[in-house]
Parts: sequence; structure tokens; C-alpha cells
Amino acid sequence: MATQLKSDALMEQMKLHMSTDAGKELTKKIGLVYQINIAPKKIGFNEKSFVVDLKKGEVKEGAYEDGKPDATFSFTDDDFLKVASGKMNPQIAFMRGAIKIKGSISAAQKFTPDIFPKPSKM
Amino acid sequence: MAMRDLVSGGAACAVPGSSSSSNPLGALANALIGSSSKTQERLQEIPTATATASDGNLHAGMGEPFNAALPGSELEYMHPNAQGSEFLRGFHSMDQNRFSDAWDDIQRPQIPHFQGRTGPTNLPLEHARLQQDFDGPPQKVLSNFLHSFLHSGHGTIPFRPASLPVLGLSEGDKQCIRDRSSIMARHLFADKSEEFIHTQVNALLSSLDIDNDIRARGPIPGRFPELEEYWTESQHMKPLSGGADGWASEFSQQLVPHDNPNMWAQSFERQHGANGWASEFEHYLPLHLLFLEKSRVHIDADEYACLIFLAKFQEHLQLASVDQMRATGVPNLAAMEQTRMLAHTLAQNNDPKFQNSKFLQFVSKMSRGEITIEDNQFKPAGISAPGDWAAEYEQQHSGGRSWADQFSNEQASSDFPKDTMNTCLWQKANMFRSFTSMLRTFLLRFLVLIRDDILQSAKIFSDLTILTIQLSQGPHGWANEFATEHGQQGSTEDEWANEFSKLNVNDWSDEFERQVADGVLGDSSGDNWANAYDDYLNEQTALKQKSDASRGVYVFSDLNPYVGRPNPLKEGQELFRKGLLSEAVLALEAEVLKNPDNAEGWRLLGIAHAENDDDQQVDILDLLPLFSLRWTAIAAMMRAHEVDPTNLEVLLALGVSHTNELEQAAALKYLYSWLRHHPRYSTIAPPDQPENLYYADVSVYLDCNMHVNVHKLGYMFMVARLFNDAAKLSPEDADVHIVLGVLYNLSREYDKAIEAFQTSLKLKPRDYSLWNKLGATQANSVQSADAILAYQQALNLKPNYVRAWANMGISYANQGMYEDSIRYYVRALAMNPKADNAWQYLRISLSCASRNDMFEACDSRNLDILQKEFPMI
Repeated sequence: MATQLKSDALMEQMKLHMSTDAGKELTKKIGLVYQINIAPKKIGFNEKSFVVDLKKGEVKEGAYEDGKPDATFSFTDDDFLKVASGKMNPQIAFMRGAIKIKGSISAAQKFTPDIFPKPSKM
Repeated sequence: MAMRDLVSGGAACAVPGSSSSSNPLGALANALIGSSSKTQERLQEIPTATATASDGNLHAGMGEPFNAALPGSELEYMHPNAQGSEFLRGFHSMDQNRFSDAWDDIQRPQIPHFQGRTGPTNLPLEHARLQQDFDGPPQKVLSNFLHSFLHSGHGTIPFRPASLPVLGLSEGDKQCIRDRSSIMARHLFADKSEEFIHTQVNALLSSLDIDNDIRARGPIPGRFPELEEYWTESQHMKPLSGGADGWASEFSQQLVPHDNPNMWAQSFERQHGANGWASEFEHYLPLHLLFLEKSRVHIDADEYACLIFLAKFQEHLQLASVDQMRATGVPNLAAMEQTRMLAHTLAQNNDPKFQNSKFLQFVSKMSRGEITIEDNQFKPAGISAPGDWAAEYEQQHSGGRSWADQFSNEQASSDFPKDTMNTCLWQKANMFRSFTSMLRTFLLRFLVLIRDDILQSAKIFSDLTILTIQLSQGPHGWANEFATEHGQQGSTEDEWANEFSKLNVNDWSDEFERQVADGVLGDSSGDNWANAYDDYLNEQTALKQKSDASRGVYVFSDLNPYVGRPNPLKEGQELFRKGLLSEAVLALEAEVLKNPDNAEGWRLLGIAHAENDDDQQVDILDLLPLFSLRWTAIAAMMRAHEVDPTNLEVLLALGVSHTNELEQAAALKYLYSWLRHHPRYSTIAPPDQPENLYYADVSVYLDCNMHVNVHKLGYMFMVARLFNDAAKLSPEDADVHIVLGVLYNLSREYDKAIEAFQTSLKLKPRDYSLWNKLGATQANSVQSADAILAYQQALNLKPNYVRAWANMGISYANQGMYEDSIRYYVRALAMNPKADNAWQYLRISLSCASRNDMFEACDSRNLDILQKEFPMI
């Protein structure tokens, strides 16, 4: 079984977020399907895939079955959190090799921190 | 080691009697960059990429200045005794218009072993080659011979002396070869015995009919410690005056009139031989550079040499500590002199396109040492010549907006008719019209920065260069990959070039301007390029050093007014009560400095940080070894824990902090400890490590459709069950419910968590931190409206509760109410400007609210402006 990732929490929040108004706005604004592969330590190893479907407004675990995602990203757990929280600029992250991208460039460019809801702190 | 030689001039090719400690690399860089008008053309060509539509011309244009860039070298080139490598000579002899062919031709015979290279297995190949290449022009023979010497290091087969035809080497050449090969041998065979080294060198030298006298062997071992010293000194720059004076005096000995930059190159030539570097460093070519031959990047030989150096530089950087690099960011006098010359040269260029290129302006400025990177900020170094165009630019863009910012800005809509797979870097590639010129630019910048000892920035460009090469790779490259996938006819360089020729390249600088004006897509706060890279470097270094212990290392604030007061704990408690959190932190720091064993002091310090929303940011702690930053909640708490491992409040606080950071295992550990150390409940918790226990009740996780590590899951369940038992034991104990709530947050059973917090709130309605916990739980389960109400309660009880203000901002932002969220963030930041998370979130909200005009204020953390603009209603 795959290990638990910190990103699980974020994805779960995202999932819930999709049913809110703000989440629905996202589907209107972006309308793309992203697949995100997250590895615990090193990109490509032991990856867990998530599909952030901003067309239907869903977040699911596993690879995208209904065709090809508009863009596919690969991150490590920590890096994904950094990008999603805005700590790391996705473009700079790419230059550093922290993100691997496949797919459409315009889709990839729309993958920004503001898509993701932010976690609150107790 | 060779790196040091490069910079400190240790490479033993000094002509006897002359000073050998000038920066030979600097001279190389100058040779390539700073010298003639041809180079200006070359530089000019980079940003504007005028006129021509095909790459062929581009290369031809570059071919020319290459010759001129090494003034005085042409003659030496043609000199049969030149110690040049094969491809350099080969290049020159080729018709310039067939540059790329020439490159391929040269590459193929020259480095066949790279194609299949995995290790020593290539040795037989080389030996075979050895035989067949021993005819032909002397320089070819020599260089092949030298190459095989270099590569003999790969295998264990000693280098065999071979009988070479007379090569006609002059004494100077011989000396050069002897000295250099000795040093090289030391590098190559560093893991082998002295014997071996000597044998190899002797074999080489006797083949070349060079006397291997004591002179070559003797001083070398002695030299190294000197070099080390010199290097260390120049690295640390602590005796800045000493180091810089050393440089400056060496420099002034070699000082040339400003109007003759060619002298640099010439003196370099004299000392080190024409293009000696390339052959020396081919050996160090890292694997990814090998792809060059398959890539569609066409560069000339000198650039190739530079790439090799770059590879070595990269290697060196991995070894050098970031600390040292930071130190070398201080420009030394000699380097500044050189850069001034360059800037002067550039400034002579009256072409407005060139002048207006903000890209070049800023980069030149940076390379002049007028902007340095300190504390993750670009800072002008305070030197500006009057009438300096670069200084004017700096004034206009006082935010230190880097070309990299411009670089990373998105185009409003895709200009690519083919939706080629890409990233922003590729998008910007169209600016350069080809991988080649992009590569060339980066390489150029890299060299300039190296010359000026601005190593951090140099690293950035070296990485960029390598990235460019990687991305340009043929069969493995992205462009090709994408093309194959999408059945398009490859994004060949020609096609790119064709496409780009459709762009009006005269408006290149305008286009940049436009991009600057356009909104930023995903540019996070304070992140100009080099800063982010800086952080990255620091993280990488710190990650290596990180251990649990180091996470607990607290760094105190300087200039603490509370130190020395009689009872800082009391003062700290008072300040805390009043809600003056930052002040409380100072007082409490004074307390723990005075009484390091005062657990209460640590605990309160940790809480003060937590409430100030200074909770552990992973990257801050990672940077701790390098900067003196304030302590964070976790660090303080852990110290408290160290002092008193049974303190329940500390354990709870640590559990909460780790939960916030999504560090499940650690959080569980602390929460479980809480139970174990609680006088009433310790009997419930079994004394042994519960990790082996397994619970099969995984149903709650299945609908989340997520896989969970079974053991962790079991552990979590067990702990939860224990807490439940505890809660049943004493329903009046609010604390148990609090811990239970935190636990359920960990397992993302938010409803249960909310229930638990609500129970405890009934028992402790005035606990503001509890309200915040409730709110946060609600927010994380996307019940934002409820969350806001809870936060409001918390704030009623404690108006200065920074964390609650920040959480409010988050909840508004998550609901898409960005304008409101901005206000709350600003409010939180006004109370604690160090809450880095909040700055990042603020920037995101600004972007979402299309308030790009406030980016600068945000990036420069200018609270005055932000507060004026976004007051709390």
C-alpha cells in the first residue's frame, strides 16, 4: 500500500472545495483536467496519482481514465504543498526540476496556487 | 580542485617570473566577452536577434566574433605548437556557413566514446583510436594524445608511452604541458597512488619528449596547500581587506589601461596558452552535457569549453557550502574593475535596441556587482557612476525587479500556433529564437558572474544553461516527445526560428515591457528568480544537515531589550496576557536565556510564537543553520519538551503544531505521549510502543478512496480509541476532548473533530485557542461560514490573536472573497510582519483580486502602503 502523503490532506480539502461556490467558479474559470502524480520522496518513485478534474468539478485518486488529462504534473510531496500554498513559484519550480510537466502548455500555465484552497491552522 | 586553480590561477602554466595569481578564468571570460567590438555585436545579437531568419546565419554571425574574441590568438592558433584541442582547430578550418556540419563532424571523431560511455569499458576503444590518430597534423596528434591521456584515467590500464612523430613543441609549450599534465594527473588519478601518477605523467612526457625534471614534480605538492589557502581565503572573504587587497594588488600589477581590454586576453594567452581550457576540462563533462551532440544546440568551441567549465563549476558547487558562496557574493575590487570595463564597453554601444533592453541592463548591473543578493533581497550596492544608464534603470525599478521576473511573466495568450508542450521557459525561448542563442545568453551571463565572483547568481545561470541543453535534446527532449505524441512535425529549431521570425523582433523590448505590465500568473511573493533559487540552494544544503535535533535549534533575536532585566518571565507573561505577542516573545527569550531550564518559559515562548502565527514553516527551519532567524513555535516547544518531557501542555502544543504541518507520525507521537504522561490516563495507554497493533476498521477511509499505510492507520485508530476511552472515563475533562479533536483532525475525520471541540468548548468557553481550533477544523472541512464565526469568537476573546486573523483571511479567500481576505491578511501581518505564510497568501489573494498594483508593496513587505490601501472596515 502506498504511504500517506501530506498532500492527501490538501487533495481532500480540494475535493470538498469543489462542491462549494468557489469550487464551481473554478470549473467555469479553468475547465481543464489535471493529473497530479505525487511521490513521497523522489519524483517517479512510489507515486500516487490524483485527478483534479476542473471540468466536472471532481477530485479523485488514481490515474485519469476518461481520456487524456490536459496536463500532467509530477511532484514530490513537499514540493506540491509548497506550490499549492504559494511558497514556490511553479515556473521557478519547473526550472529547478521540482516539477515535471507533460501536456498542453496553456493548461500547465493555468495550474497556479490560487486553484487550491489553503489549510487553516489550529 | 581544478576549480580553485581556475580562479586562483594555480594552473601551472604560468610563465616563469610572472605573477600566476590573476584570475585566469576571469581572463577567459573577458577574452570571450569583454574584448572587442565583435563581442559587442555578439552581445547585441543576443537580445535582439535581428534580421536573419535562419539559424545558419546566426551561427555564421557568431563564428566571426569567436575568432576576434581571442585577440592575438589567431596567430597562436595557426601555430603548430598550440596546445589546442582537436575540435577547436577543426572548427576554425571549417567554412563558417557549414557551422553545424562542422560541429557534427568535429564531434564525431573527437568524442566517440561519449556515445556509449558508461565507464571504463571504453578504454579499448580509445586505445584503438590512439593508433589511428597518430598521423595527421601535429596539433591533431598532440591533442588526441592528450585526450587519451585524460581518458586513461577511466580505466586502470596505465597510459602507455607511445612513439609520436616529432611535434615540434617549443620549450614553453613543453613546460606548459608538463606542468599542466602533472596537475591533471593528480586530479584524474586522485584515488590512485603517487607512484601511479608519476608513472602516467612520465609516460606522457617521455612520449612527448619533455623532460620531467624535478621542477615539475617538486613544487606541485607544495603548491596545493597554498592554493587551498588562497582559495579558502578568497572564499570566505572574511579578511575582506586582506583578500581583496591581495586581488587588487595582483590586479594592479597586471593593470592595463582601460581603453585596451584586449590586453587581458593577451596576457591570459601568454600565461595559459590558447584555448588550453577546453582540453583540460573535457574530462569533467557530466553526462547530461554529453547530450549536446545529439541536441539541436549549436555552439562554437569556446562556448563548449565554457560549458565544460560550467560542469566543473556545478560539481564544485555541490561540494562547496552555501555559506562560502554567500561570502563570495561580496564583489572584490579587481572584479569590479573588470566589470566596469565591460559595462563601459556595452555603454558605448549606441544601438537603442540594445540600450533599451531592460533584460541586459539589469543583468549587466547585477554582473557589475552593483546589485548583490543579501538576505534574499536584491540590494543595490550603492555604487553608481553618474550618467550610468544601468543606474537609471535601477532607480526606475527600485523594486529590484529582475529580468527574471519579466522572464517568468506569462504572455496574455498563447502565441504558439501549435500548442506545443511547454513551460514558461519555452515560451520565453521564442524570444531567443533558438535554443542556441538562449544557451549562449545564459552561458555569457554565467561567465560574467563567475568572473565577478558572484557565484550564487552564476549558479543560477549555470543551471539555466544545463536546463536549456536538457530541454533541447533530440530524441529525449520534450519538444520531440510532445511532437511524437501529437503527431506534429517536430518542433525543430528551424521551425521555431521560422515561427519566431514572424514575430516582430524589433519589438522585443516592447514585448518584455508588455509582459511586465501584464498580470503575473502564479508569481509568488518576494520570489524574484534569484531569490527563489537562493532559497532552493539553502534548502538543499540545510536538508542535508537537518535532523530532529537541528529542528529544535532555536536562534535568538539580537538586541533584546529584555535581557538583563530582573524578571523577564513575569514581564513576558504580562505581555502575553495583554496580547503583545512579539514583545512577549522577546521577554520570554530573555527569560530562557537567563534560565534555560525553565520549562514554563519555553512553553510560553512556544505558545507566543504559535499564536503569532510563527508556527513552524518548514523552509524557515531549514534555513536556520544559515541565517539567524527567530525561533518558531515548534523549536521552542521542543526545547521545553527537552527540559520537561512530561509537560502536558507542551506535548499538546507540539501535537498541534505537527498536525498543522501535516506531519502525522510526529503529531501522533506527541499526542500519544500526552496520554501516557497524563496522571489519570496513563493506565489506559499500554506501556509498549503501539505501532505493532493493528486495527482492521478501515471503512472510514475507503470512501475517501485513499490508500493508507496500514500500520499508521492502526496506530491512529488505537490512539483515538484510547482517547475515547479516556473521555468516557472523565467526561468533564476538556483537555481530553481537545486532544481528541486534534487527533481527528489528523485522521481527517472532521465531523468527529468538530464534535470533540464543541464538547470541550462547553467546558471551557473562554478558551480562545479552542475557538480557533474549532474554526480551523471547520475551515479545513470546507465549512467556511461556520469557521468564520468561530474565529470571530476567538478574536472577541483575544483581539491580538494573529493566527485567528490569518485564518480568517484564509477562510475568506477559500470562499473566493478575495478583497475581504486581503484585509484580514494585512491585519494579521500588521501585528506580526514575520508570518511568512500570510505574506504568500496575501500575494495570491492580490493576484486573484486583480490588484497587481499592490504586488510591489507586498513583495517589499511594505505594510504602510498595504494598510492604507486595505484598512479593516
